[in-house]
Amino acid sequence: MTNAAIAVSNLTFNYGSQKVIDELSLEVPGGISFGLLGPNGAGKTTLIRLLVGLLKARAGTILTLGRKPSPHIAHLIGYMPQLPSLYGELSVIQNVEFFARIYGLRDREQRTQRVEAVIKLVDLWGHRRKSVTNLSGGMKQRASLACAIVHNPPLLFLDEPTVGLDPELRVTFWEYFSALTRQGATLIISSHTMDDAAHCDRLAFMRDGRVIALGSPDELRQATGRSQASLEDAFLHFVRREVKKNVG
Amino acid sequence: MSASTLTIAGRIINQLVRDRRTIILIAVVPLVIASLVGVSVPDKKILDYTAPAILAVLILFFGFLLTGISFLRERSQGTLERLMASPVSRLDIVGGYLLGFLLFAVVQTMVLFFYLIYVIKVNYYGDLWQILVFQVLIGIGAVCMGTFFSVLAKNEFQMVQFIPMIIVPQMFLCGLLWPVSQMPEYLQWLANVLPMTYGVEGIRALMLQGQNLLDIGKEIGVLAAYAVGLLVLSAITLRRGTG
Repeated sequence: MTNAAIAVSNLTFNYGSQKVIDELSLEVPGGISFGLLGPNGAGKTTLIRLLVGLLKARAGTILTLGRKPSPHIAHLIGYMPQLPSLYGELSVIQNVEFFARIYGLRDREQRTQRVEAVIKLVDLWGHRRKSVTNLSGGMKQRASLACAIVHNPPLLFLDEPTVGLDPELRVTFWEYFSALTRQGATLIISSHTMDDAAHCDRLAFMRDGRVIALGSPDELRQATGRSQASLEDAFLHFVRREVKKNVG
Repeated sequence: MSASTLTIAGRIINQLVRDRRTIILIAVVPLVIASLVGVSVPDKKILDYTAPAILAVLILFFGFLLTGISFLRERSQGTLERLMASPVSRLDIVGGYLLGFLLFAVVQTMVLFFYLIYVIKVNYYGDLWQILVFQVLIGIGAVCMGTFFSVLAKNEFQMVQFIPMIIVPQMFLCGLLWPVSQMPEYLQWLANVLPMTYGVEGIRALMLQGQNLLDIGKEIGVLAAYAVGLLVLSAITLRRGTG
């Protein structure tokens, strides 16, 4: 049995006849922020949904925290979908409280403390009684993050968490994420922006349902052979290499 | 009943209570329809005969609509996916929905029933509490049916199509407009497998013939079997993934 937070081997998934994940293998050590980077349609969201257990793989194996994804380990996992996915009629505090209960925080005092702490962490305390419908896009994203982390999960999946955020809020989000990894949590973050990629401890560049490169941001930059290469240059370098390989 | 089921039911109640316009519509729309029935049926005897069946059909219709659309919305806004990624079981989700919406179905049923009795002056002969218990059973069936078909529908458009497909044939075949016994044999066979037929027969027996719940065991059994069957089917067919 592996000690990795995530271990994926030869994973394949199709939507109808379209192969979305193509014999993908990946290992993510615990306690780091791991970025899944790639353009739209690369298979990032599908991979996250497979890892969370929302989709069933056609072939291959997935071990999440050493076990197959199932409702039995769901309490150890936090999931923030791409859309805020909150109950619009309910207030921020009602949404967070609901997910706290769903994730098994039964003790009232403990739950109240935790709900308050995460709402303060995402800086929504002043808006806690507002209906989610009346919040701005960035506030909804923050409320969604609060719902995903309220049960203090050791493994957190964040699907494009910074999409639509202004630069200031993006920095704030990365501060939250760093704080979570410092506390020992493993974060799997999908993104298509290289700005997000630079914040991750390790990255997987994805294209057409496959991992085309794996390493730390520095390792990936250095792989281009250019001293001033950006992560964008690194991504393009690996894409070109992949295209050449396929043509050859 | 698990704590998660109660949590989900509580959340649904909270959501609807905070949506005042929906609450008003839940209460007012059945009254408008009941008033129309009251003023459009010229003969008091005909009204007394048709009102129980109309009551049963309206409970089915509103329960189906409210639950079906709400459950589907949960999927389209992504909250169902979030719930499916959590430790709650599919039965908890479906059970929570049943419990949450049942409260509103019961409230709607009561409003409708008392309005028909006290404002429209429909006569009835059975025990009030027995009539109400049976109406709640129809409400449970309606909520289970709404949940099941919203699990099958992929979008709001498909869900709306289920209304003429599922509700309207039951309205025509349940004995509301003409007795089932006067229909062609193949339609009688069809009517006898539809739950609404038993809902209408049961409520007529209670309201018009003054029978009690023990006398309509078959109707109660069929409706309960439908409700349990649809609930279990909803939980089985509810995809853990929404893609």
